[in-house]
Amino acid sequence: MAPPFRKLLVANRGEIAVRVMRTCRELGIRTVAVYSEADRGSRHAREADQAVPIGPAEARYSYLSIEAILRAARATGAEAIHPGYGFLSQNGDFADAVTDAGFVFVGPPGDVHRLMGDKQKARRAMAAAGVPVLPGYDGDDQQDGHLLAEAERIGWPVLLKPARGGGGKGMRVVERAADLASALAASRREARAAFGAEALVLERFVERSRHVEVQVVADAHGGLLHLGERECSIQRRHQKIVEETPSPALDPRRRGELCQTGVAAARAVGYLGAGTVEFLMAPDGRFYFLEMNTRLQVEHPVTEAVTGLDLVRLQLEVAAGLKLPLSQPQVVSRGHAIECRLYAEDPDRDDLPAPGRVLHLSEPRGEGIRVDSGLANGSDVTVHYDPLLAKLVAWGRDRAEATARMQAALRQTVVLGLVTNLARLRAIVEHPAFAAGELHTGFIAQHLAERRPPPCPPPLAVAALVAALRQPGGGGRAAAPDPWAKLGAWRLGGAA
Amino acid sequence: MRFVCGELPFDVELRDAKGGYDAVVNGEPLSFSLGPVKDGRCDVRLSGAPTALHFARDGRTLHLFWEGVAYRLDERREGARATQRHDAGALEAPMPGRVSAVKVAVGQKVAKGQELVVVEAMKMENALRAPRAGVVRALFAGPGDMVAPGRPLVEIAEEPEGA
Repeated sequence: MAPPFRKLLVANRGEIAVRVMRTCRELGIRTVAVYSEADRGSRHAREADQAVPIGPAEARYSYLSIEAILRAARATGAEAIHPGYGFLSQNGDFADAVTDAGFVFVGPPGDVHRLMGDKQKARRAMAAAGVPVLPGYDGDDQQDGHLLAEAERIGWPVLLKPARGGGGKGMRVVERAADLASALAASRREARAAFGAEALVLERFVERSRHVEVQVVADAHGGLLHLGERECSIQRRHQKIVEETPSPALDPRRRGELCQTGVAAARAVGYLGAGTVEFLMAPDGRFYFLEMNTRLQVEHPVTEAVTGLDLVRLQLEVAAGLKLPLSQPQVVSRGHAIECRLYAEDPDRDDLPAPGRVLHLSEPRGEGIRVDSGLANGSDVTVHYDPLLAKLVAWGRDRAEATARMQAALRQTVVLGLVTNLARLRAIVEHPAFAAGELHTGFIAQHLAERRPPPCPPPLAVAALVAALRQPGGGGRAAAPDPWAKLGAWRLGGAA
Repeated sequence: MRFVCGELPFDVELRDAKGGYDAVVNGEPLSFSLGPVKDGRCDVRLSGAPTALHFARDGRTLHLFWEGVAYRLDERREGARATQRHDAGALEAPMPGRVSAVKVAVGQKVAKGQELVVVEAMKMENALRAPRAGVVRALFAGPGDMVAPGRPLVEIAEEPEGA
């Protein structure tokens, strides 16, 4: 079969750019990488057939610059542009500009991004389509008095969300009427600063809720499939760090309802490409629409691990106008998969990003283990971009086997030179509550708030270090062992 | 060799011994053996199954990885001055934990290597031992106290001349 495109530009960096280009190579599509000054010589730039500098380290002049990316696409003769996740991936104006410039945008059209990027409009559209939404308020009357009346109707506690926002910014839980006015003022201030708009949506706040989401993919011929669900309840700062599929909280009947609801949501907005419909699941098992991500998700590898499908390949094929190559009954999920996100961040300092240079890395290996990483020789983790180092994915025949493999993979993983969340990831997947599948978005606060690794090594480790430094090959006192010798061990985003 | 982890100094003396090494780390004696060193990795055996040590050097900073946790040590030149607190003879908690035993009293004479205070963290007991002979000048924590790393626990004064 002819490749869907001859040449594709990836408007992203890091592991996801490397991941997209892997599928392009398999399909015979030539690849164009774009890179900022901070990413000169980085792995995604080196692995592409062509690499184009697009500006300074600061993202708004490089990876967020529509003009710079279109210029690179014109200069290299790319036919299509894949936006990855983050950056411009959910920007409707970018999607339109790409199409207007004569390129194929790998994703839905601008209108779909704009609709789903607006929490007011998205809630209204979903409610109209019969998709359950939380008791809430998505209207235009934003006066304090009216919002108070709406909050009383919804019932306390309520969650304030910026209508144009994302990523947890400006979100606030309000416990009682007396606290509403000051919370509104603070959320509006943050929303205006971050998103340029003050409007807020109110929703009932559900404690001990789970985050479940449905992967969908649609072609331009009316074909629309779901690829099952993922559970992403383990979060810090409202952002996921451990994901899995299937969700341990769903029985077959509830799973069917959830996935059909995801399909209905995508159909209601005329979806095209791969997307994810996110739901909050209450402790009673009911689920409610949260938002739709109109792009490929960070955690898509767990879906690939159980379905055997390549989501990037499906994205490229439907973007090229091809029909989906399979029907819903042909989508078969096998076994269980878990993903852990390894970040350069400090769990003991409010999960703040911890930039630095990677001096030594050992990747986990083993049956059912996949590592997606954008790291390469000389990798610096800078303050400019997301500090994701690698995604570790473990597949097993059941959840227990996947968990055991992930535990082993994390024990094998070694990162030297910067602070990471590796110890926290181990604490999560080794916790009895994780083994029991008792997940909720407050899992870390409930189980791991007090758990800290010792900051100083045990005496034996230090004594052994001194002995090792004196040995042949230990680097002696002055010579440094080649810190990059190990880096080649990181697999090139290969599926297990 | 001497290292500093945060504020906490590590003084390491190492001697070849039969089948491995004898070391004294901050006054605590240890015997262990070491597998071959390759690509910044080696196996360390105290007793029972070996533990992997990974390490990398960045100038005077040494990064090590031990039992799933990354640590950072700064190397000090031999004979360089130790930290003030250490010079003054104060011994600090090596890790966050709970003081499970205080084995000495103020005014007591102690021998080099004698156990002074035991700190328990994550079900592991760590004994603080006297780095040299002296007299307990002060105790800063009692049994059951939660302590942060680097917090002084015991102060040892050198015995006066001729005492």
